[in-house]
Amino acid sequence: MGEFALSTDAWIVSGVALAYLAGCLWVGMRGGSGASDSALGYVAGDRALGPLVMYFIIGATVFSAFSFLATPGLALTSGAAVFYVLGYGLVGFIPFYFLGPRAARLGRSRGYITQAEMVAGECRHAPLAGTMALVSALSFIPYLALQIKGAGLVVNRLTEGQVPEWLGSAVCYVVVLAYVLKSGVLGVGWTNVFQGVLMMALAWAFGLWLPYKLYGGVGPMFEQIAAAKPEVEGGPLFLSAPGAKTWTWFLNSGVISMIGFVCWPHLFMKAFSARDERTLRRTVVFYPTFMVFLVPIFLIGFAGVLFPSQPASPEQILPHMLMSLDLPALVVGLFCAGALAAGMSTGDAIVHASASILVRDGWITALRRPLTSTQERTAVRVLIVVLMLASYALAVLYDGDLVSLLLYAYGPIAQFLPGLLVSLLGRRRDGVALHAALVVGVVVCVSLKMFPESAPWGVHEGLCGLAANVVVLLALSFARGWRPFSASSGSNAPA
Amino acid sequence: MSSARSRLPHVLFALHSVVATFCVVGPGYRWWGASARPFVLGLPWSLVWALIWLVAVFASLLLYERFTRSVEGEAARSASGDGR
Repeated sequence: MGEFALSTDAWIVSGVALAYLAGCLWVGMRGGSGASDSALGYVAGDRALGPLVMYFIIGATVFSAFSFLATPGLALTSGAAVFYVLGYGLVGFIPFYFLGPRAARLGRSRGYITQAEMVAGECRHAPLAGTMALVSALSFIPYLALQIKGAGLVVNRLTEGQVPEWLGSAVCYVVVLAYVLKSGVLGVGWTNVFQGVLMMALAWAFGLWLPYKLYGGVGPMFEQIAAAKPEVEGGPLFLSAPGAKTWTWFLNSGVISMIGFVCWPHLFMKAFSARDERTLRRTVVFYPTFMVFLVPIFLIGFAGVLFPSQPASPEQILPHMLMSLDLPALVVGLFCAGALAAGMSTGDAIVHASASILVRDGWITALRRPLTSTQERTAVRVLIVVLMLASYALAVLYDGDLVSLLLYAYGPIAQFLPGLLVSLLGRRRDGVALHAALVVGVVVCVSLKMFPESAPWGVHEGLCGLAANVVVLLALSFARGWRPFSASSGSNAPA
Repeated sequence: MSSARSRLPHVLFALHSVVATFCVVGPGYRWWGASARPFVLGLPWSLVWALIWLVAVFASLLLYERFTRSVEGEAARSASGDGR
């Protein structure tokens, strides 16, 4: 339908995307120049990240391919159900105001640079770090695959299938691989600043322009949707929460995402990278301003509701609309860059964090195999390549929707919550009990994911796992005679 | 008395965070936010409700961070006074 002549315009779109990738590469390669050659420099940026980088590293890391593709897709199919994303994002980060500075203090005094290392160290139970590292990898790989798949999907759709998904994904993530390998967390941080500004600007531009172009404005768009999909008492809803989903789904998704959010190792370990506690607190304070970025994303999804044609899958609604309108290829290319920025800004942080965690927590802490600083950096780099390849394989082979992939990842990660709370706020800690509770929680979560009909009342498998996790922790705490939050400050229970 | 006063901001912030969670993730959304109308500035109430809480959470975080800083400042001043 549009004027999108295949070959020439596809080249222009690809050219803009390549220019963006070149920009990322330049920023990312230069970003790490200020860090020391040590593992601390590579993994935690020498604990010197300032407010600007911290703001974008947290914000852009949270806003991923999911935000740019799956969120409009969810708005398209389920209406107001999509607002759960705003809800959990808004309150999910508040606990970090208290947990982050405590973790940073511990990190400085005891040398921690990862979440699992801190929990295991505070509980004096090294194998706990290994299990947390494995669970993190279990969750990170699908989450990273989501970002890789999103990148391939955008490039493929916007070049009208001329660039296959596997190739689009590969090109984007070779760039990520290059700057993460070279610059570590500082490369991730400075590219996130670049990507964050780009994706916010483009999201607002498209989020306001599409409703104006298709409906005459944001207000007329919602009025027309309300007229076309009237809210019926006891019947289907669209603009009233929970939209086309059930309340169980809405509450489940909000609560599990909120818990998983504060437990994400790649976000949590940024507490060890911040320059000081004030920087961390300010990051939490200003985080809601980043959430405003979701509004145009919602508007893009709602703009597709009455669009004359629909894409093959809801996640393709934005590229589908752009391709169906008479838009200059340059504009389409800019959107492509914005969507790639969203995915890559999350993917780089995940791959860097997961490799660091596996080496630091799995190899060094749990298996007690000390490495020199140089060896540690090399091992992290090797694992970055391995994890990237595994995630790429999953992205190419996976055929489901992106929302399910994200909600799966949150379940196992949410099982870290008791360990985090006990290690940061508890007076006495029993690593063995925490370890057993974590294993039970993850097993319950993964089992219910495989047999979802067994979940009681349709509760999310992650929440069921968390309930089992807490019950085991409390039962063992009584059986072993310790009280995780007792007032008597004593030495940690020996492993 | 002064201890009770210094605890008040912590209590208020904790209370506000719990209420915000209840209202945007919990049943509060279902009771007060889950409606398409009225439209405010062209946006459905279900979105406006979440945005109101976004502003409220941002404001409470700003105030609480200011309080945290003032407490830290006082602690630092009294520590340096002790030092002298």
